[in-house]
Amino acid sequence: MSAAVRWLLLAGLATFALAGVCGSGQLEPLPPPAAVDAARAELGRHLFHESRLSGDGSRSCASCHVPDKGYADGLALARGYNGTEHFRNAPGLLSVRLRTRLMWDGRHAGSELAAAVREMLTDAQTMNGDVQVVAERLRQIPQLFALWRRAWPEPAALRGEHAFEAIAEYLRTLDFGVSALDRHLGGDRQALSPLAAEGLALFGGKAGCVQCHDGALLSDGRLHRLGVPEHPQILREPLRTVSLLRHQAEHDVPDAMAVRADLGAYTITQRPSDRGAFVTPGLRGLAHTGPYMHNGVFASLEEVVAFHERGGGAGSELHPLGLTAHERQALLAFLRALSAPLRPSAEPLPFDYGGVAAGTEP
Amino acid sequence: MRLAALACVRAVALGVACATGASAASPSAAASAQGGPPALATLPAVPIPAANPPNEAKLQLGRMLFFDARLSGDGSTSCASCHVPQHGWAHGDALARGYPGHRLWRNNPTVLNAAYRRRLMWDGSLDSLEAQARAAMQAPVEGNGKGTMIEMRLRLVPEYRDLFCRAFGDAWPQLDHAWQAIAAYERTLVSDPRQVPFDRYLAGDREALSASARRGLALFEGRAGCIQCHHGALASDEGFHALGVPRQPQFDSHPLVQIAVRWQNVQRGAADATGAGHDGDLGRWYTTRDGADIGRFRTPTLRELVYTAPYMHNGVFGTLREVVDFFDAGGGSTPNKSPLLRALGLSEQDKSDLVAFLESMSSERPRVVDAPRLPPLQPLGDAVACVPPRAGSEGGPAAGSASERP
Repeated sequence: MSAAVRWLLLAGLATFALAGVCGSGQLEPLPPPAAVDAARAELGRHLFHESRLSGDGSRSCASCHVPDKGYADGLALARGYNGTEHFRNAPGLLSVRLRTRLMWDGRHAGSELAAAVREMLTDAQTMNGDVQVVAERLRQIPQLFALWRRAWPEPAALRGEHAFEAIAEYLRTLDFGVSALDRHLGGDRQALSPLAAEGLALFGGKAGCVQCHDGALLSDGRLHRLGVPEHPQILREPLRTVSLLRHQAEHDVPDAMAVRADLGAYTITQRPSDRGAFVTPGLRGLAHTGPYMHNGVFASLEEVVAFHERGGGAGSELHPLGLTAHERQALLAFLRALSAPLRPSAEPLPFDYGGVAAGTEP
Repeated sequence: MRLAALACVRAVALGVACATGASAASPSAAASAQGGPPALATLPAVPIPAANPPNEAKLQLGRMLFFDARLSGDGSTSCASCHVPQHGWAHGDALARGYPGHRLWRNNPTVLNAAYRRRLMWDGSLDSLEAQARAAMQAPVEGNGKGTMIEMRLRLVPEYRDLFCRAFGDAWPQLDHAWQAIAAYERTLVSDPRQVPFDRYLAGDREALSASARRGLALFEGRAGCIQCHHGALASDEGFHALGVPRQPQFDSHPLVQIAVRWQNVQRGAADATGAGHDGDLGRWYTTRDGADIGRFRTPTLRELVYTAPYMHNGVFGTLREVVDFFDAGGGSTPNKSPLLRALGLSEQDKSDLVAFLESMSSERPRVVDAPRLPPLQPLGDAVACVPPRAGSEGGPAAGSASERP
């Protein structure tokens, strides 16, 4: 609270008040770590890396959410399950606990992280797993079964759905590290370079970024239309088109076969105003999670800034900013100050299936 | 014997006369009059369900889809992956391989002559080839295909768009029509009586069977009593019997098999209902929920056995001789065991003769087809819905076959 106030003063933006219009209009430090159930989070850590959760045993959460890549995958468009190609970018997962909406189109509430995990584990496009198969596979892996029993001690109540909850609990433990912005918000006047400090001022002022990129994640968690260009691969590569159109069909979009663009939240809500609307991404950890935007169409932050500078694309809510080349450099310097070094991740050792004696309920 | 053979020829004639006859195992009036089980017979014309008449485009499509792994979740597994033409349209493994990451709990039955079966699956849980194709390709442990994904992949293949349109009048390929096309194709996968020594014998060619096979036939219909359950054109009563087939050792040693067994039993309510279903296959029970049906499995056809080893619902026997030994011993031990089984006291010669006869019910040359060239997915571009070739057929199956059109 005091840090946020201090930021406003430092940025010379005491008159800049957007709170109530679109989020807090302020940048905030990360809150303290979440209180989690340690046993469930530990099971979840193993399951996050466990490829036997996927239908054919080949893909884990970590296949597309790679710890060393900020829990994204470094690709413009996600690879998806074997035999599929995804039509959206795999977002990073650090501090996902703070998001108000999940998925690029916001189709899951942030408070229902396990529901999003369920979708990823069971959807044909991502892991194509089956919750009952997952349950029986876990029963056959003695070390994981022991972790499961520790996390849910009531033996009769073991359900495959626990895998979703455990992974969600693990995800709540993943946080961004302390960035230059955080040190700045904490009072370290040297934390930001002069150029980055200039960028911060632009971010909250002339460039207006903070209107949507506010709060601890630098995201208002809301839907906005920016007119981001379609990624040409989606129509060029048939399996990506399959994923795009199937997504429409899954959500009963009328005339799905005529769709040739990512309709964003419209596919979910079918409100015309949501056509092409996507959830504002957070800006922390950007250095690790390119390419950018819901479809990874921009490979660099320079492209992202240039896009916003010209007011976005067709039908955008944005307006041109009239930034000088120097101001764009300042904004980039600030954006680069939002990434802390990645914490080393401890990938769990894989466990083999064990033989369960016939007739013996584990 | 000659009487039986004549009766069989009559049964064939009857079968052909009523081309949509529901019963494949045409009972012979003559045999019934003698009070015995229906006689063995040559297969009649294939019964065709009224809702899925074949046409040229449909059969071409069905053949392609049967071999198309893109129906499965990860694009790895087609119908032909488990029903391998070179393995008698079954599989050489004791237990089906299933989808990657799995090993299933039962042996793959052959697709050959499945067109005649009233019930499919070892436990008779499905009653049409259409339903079987759908169930197998969508089950998490078999094809693991999700309907919307399969359907959209098909829609991105221009050749498929054309074939679905011609076969069914689909504006865009419809998932249910994929199963219909596969089933229609499977109805063409039947034994050719001219290729089967026993069928030639039934048709009057005494020399079609060796002396050993003829002795085996006599045992089959006589002292060995096989015909009690293995009768009619399929050499199956299509009933369910508990034989006490030995436990498949992989149930006790293979982690993936154990996973599949438990999964089945949880999925199908056995774990909750019986509490003891985690380590075994309850057979017909899954469909009837009747305790008397635990351990009962459908009598398999004996046609094309030469190509479909290993045998029994769990593939526990690798050779026909092992199967004959099992029956000679009166089967195994199981609570609901069929009273029809008893020790037979067969001699070595008897067993050889029975095997020779069983082999005579297989085609002399295996029916093998090469996998067709599969058309690739293509960018959709500005493709639009197909206009069905026949007015009024949009949204439903085309009224007639392609060849009937002027």
